[in-house]
Amino acid sequence: MTNRIAELRKERKLSQAELAEAVDVTRQTIISLESGRYNASLLLAHRIARYFGLTIEAVFLFDEEE
Amino acid sequence: MKYIQRKTVLLGSVLGVAVGLFAGALVLGERLSPPVSGLCFGVAGILGGVAGSRLIMARVERNWTPEERKEIERGERDERNVTIREKAAYSSWYWSLYLLWGLWLLTLVTQGGMYVAFVSAAIVLHCIFYMVNVGRWSRRM
Repeated sequence: MTNRIAELRKERKLSQAELAEAVDVTRQTIISLESGRYNASLLLAHRIARYFGLTIEAVFLFDEEE
Repeated sequence: MKYIQRKTVLLGSVLGVAVGLFAGALVLGERLSPPVSGLCFGVAGILGGVAGSRLIMARVERNWTPEERKEIERGERDERNVTIREKAAYSSWYWSLYLLWGLWLLTLVTQGGMYVAFVSAAIVLHCIFYMVNVGRWSRRM
């Protein structure tokens, strides 16, 4: 699973710390999500998508083969 | 505030008991039998360690700014941190089991007598606790 968090965050000129505070996680979690080392839970994915005003599928890209 | 005061008094009392036990065992020296002396030092060490570290943490926490407190609380409930803690606990369970198996073999080789039984019981309890918790969480989830 890949995601567009870094891209969407940069578009909105947000820092990792600001996004982390907005979705109630640590900055390290945002770093891990952006680098693909950690996959968000459904709850966090929902919070992030809602924060960007998008659907989960628009932020998190599921690979059919995975 | 009252809760913090009560907690501090309780921890202070526990620390006092620990110091008392340690001092008592030290003063009485050889007048105490070795098991009783060991028990006093052991209990004093555990109580002193727990109460002392809690008192130090309470003191450190009092100096946190509201921002620092918020950041630390967020770190506590952060889902990645929770996952890390769960994975670490899971790995630790296996490491403890290997350690116990190693000890068990050692007691067998050195003909440890009662220690073989103690370590065997520890291995069984270690596995039982795991299964009990698996059952508990299966019912909850």
